[in-house]
Amino acid sequence: MKRRFVPPWFLAASFALAAALLAVPGLAQAQEEDQPDMTFDEDEAKKQPPPNDPKQPGAQQPGAQQPGAQPGAQPAGGEPEPEPEPEGEVKLGADPTSDAATRHTELGENRISWQDIVVVVRKPFLKQHRLEILPMWGVTMNDNIIRHFQFTGTLNYFLTDVLAVGVEGQYYIKDLREPYDLVARQARRLPTVNKYNYGAALNFHYVPIYGKFAILDSHIIHWETFFTAGVGFTQSEVIPRDPAYEPFTNFLITPNVGASMRFFVNKFLTVNAGIRDYVFVDQFEAVGRTEVSGDAAKEDADSSLINNVVFQAGISFWFPTSFDYTTFR
Amino acid sequence: MYRLVASLAALLAASVAASAPAQAEPERKSPLAGQPAVRHRLLLVKHRFELTPAFEGSVNADFKHTLSGGLKLEFHITDMWSIGAVGFYGTDLDTGLNGRISKDLPDEVDQGDPTPTQQQWDEHLNTMPIHGAGYITITPWYGKLAAFSKFFVNFDFYFSAGVGYAQLKNECCSFDEDPAPGGDLDNGILPDNNPNNDPALNDGSRVGGYLGGGIHLFVSNWAALDLTVRDYLFQDNPSGLDFDADLAVSDDDNRFLNHLFMGVGVSFFLPATAKRTP
Repeated sequence: MKRRFVPPWFLAASFALAAALLAVPGLAQAQEEDQPDMTFDEDEAKKQPPPNDPKQPGAQQPGAQQPGAQPGAQPAGGEPEPEPEPEGEVKLGADPTSDAATRHTELGENRISWQDIVVVVRKPFLKQHRLEILPMWGVTMNDNIIRHFQFTGTLNYFLTDVLAVGVEGQYYIKDLREPYDLVARQARRLPTVNKYNYGAALNFHYVPIYGKFAILDSHIIHWETFFTAGVGFTQSEVIPRDPAYEPFTNFLITPNVGASMRFFVNKFLTVNAGIRDYVFVDQFEAVGRTEVSGDAAKEDADSSLINNVVFQAGISFWFPTSFDYTTFR
Repeated sequence: MYRLVASLAALLAASVAASAPAQAEPERKSPLAGQPAVRHRLLLVKHRFELTPAFEGSVNADFKHTLSGGLKLEFHITDMWSIGAVGFYGTDLDTGLNGRISKDLPDEVDQGDPTPTQQQWDEHLNTMPIHGAGYITITPWYGKLAAFSKFFVNFDFYFSAGVGYAQLKNECCSFDEDPAPGGDLDNGILPDNNPNNDPALNDGSRVGGYLGGGIHLFVSNWAALDLTVRDYLFQDNPSGLDFDADLAVSDDDNRFLNHLFMGVGVSFFLPATAKRTP
């Protein structure tokens, strides 16, 4: 068996390679330490860059030009240098309200700060072809005799990201307010009051306004405002002034309009708040009612146009619970 | 021996090569960590005075609506905190409820009838010709919105709390007043058990609490649409009649009530130029 001989040059090369690799991390760390810290300071961005250090290899003195260099000339073996930005052209990220001198400083050819990076952020929430299930709580805002608490269930389907069609059902609980008793006791007059029992509507929603805001300068919240218009019905019921009389109910065609805000929590949860006006012509107990029968009293009922303005708030659940972007980032 | 040394050298080189990338790349950290939510932001309120001619109207008042015009003056100490005051002068308007009650009341009533006359009813009601507040405001939310993908507007939400003030007024009394509402047994005057001819005790100055909230929609760096909801809380008895069912009008009939207003104004910010954050 022949004995293999390891030549000395191989040993030397091996140790040299090992020493070189050991030295590499140290070099990398030293490089990081030598570099100036990156800051987000606007003043830092506005500073004129220091002149080239003549000690650096390849450094160029101000005003000096390499022989044969032409503007836009192609470096050897590389891509053509981009032309500098035309002076005075306003770029995104600049302060259009600042004076010309400041703007010139900010938008100079040496853009060295993170604030020079222009980012167009994707919409954080897509609604197209998604179903929104929205339970809501509401309270009437414009009736000083009787207040209704409204519990609403809403299903909305978004045809596009800004247009939806939906249905809603409402259930009301009445709460007679202080003036109801006071008027009876102080003015000796019994108010004519109807309560609402339930209702439903077919609605269309349009989202023309979207935005974002920061809370306490730390958290960004996206939100949008949408308008609603629809038509449905409401059932109201007369509260007889004399308890011996029979109540009667009314079926009321009810258009509605409203405006609401939607705050995005995550991909499948939003918080909603808004105001809705349910408009209908209600039938009230006649002032001089003498009929005990509800049906007979209904024939003599007085009509009045009612705006039932309701503040609503709720939490939406979205299905599918996630979505995919159809365009590249 | 040579083989052993060569193997050790190769092993050392390989291990160093394997470990080198890990040491060369420090732990990655997002450059946005710890940074403010918004950079290069217009400081639309900080260190600026806000002067707002405004209009506001009462919401859900029982008997008398108040429509008023006034002025808001505010100084924004920081981007989030400010102090200010509002003052309004207004006129009154019957609510629908009061309109129906008043026109249905008689001009004269029989002795012993507890129904007030129309005059007694109308003169007992109070109005609020002057009201205002001093307050501190926090503006925790600011942002921007796009309307119809065309109009871009900066906005902020704010919330206020402070001390409210109201000057209340009534027209009482052109009828014969009860000289001793509730009776004066020390002087031998028995109660007449008729609160309708008692003086209304619901006028004068009232001091209470104030809560408010609103939104600035900035149409420029120095002007904004100001939409507000304000609630003035103080002792009041809007009807001016007996509330506690003791058949006499007294101070005990006043109770702590909300007086809710919604308003709109145009805010002007001084100085007219706004700074930006880094």
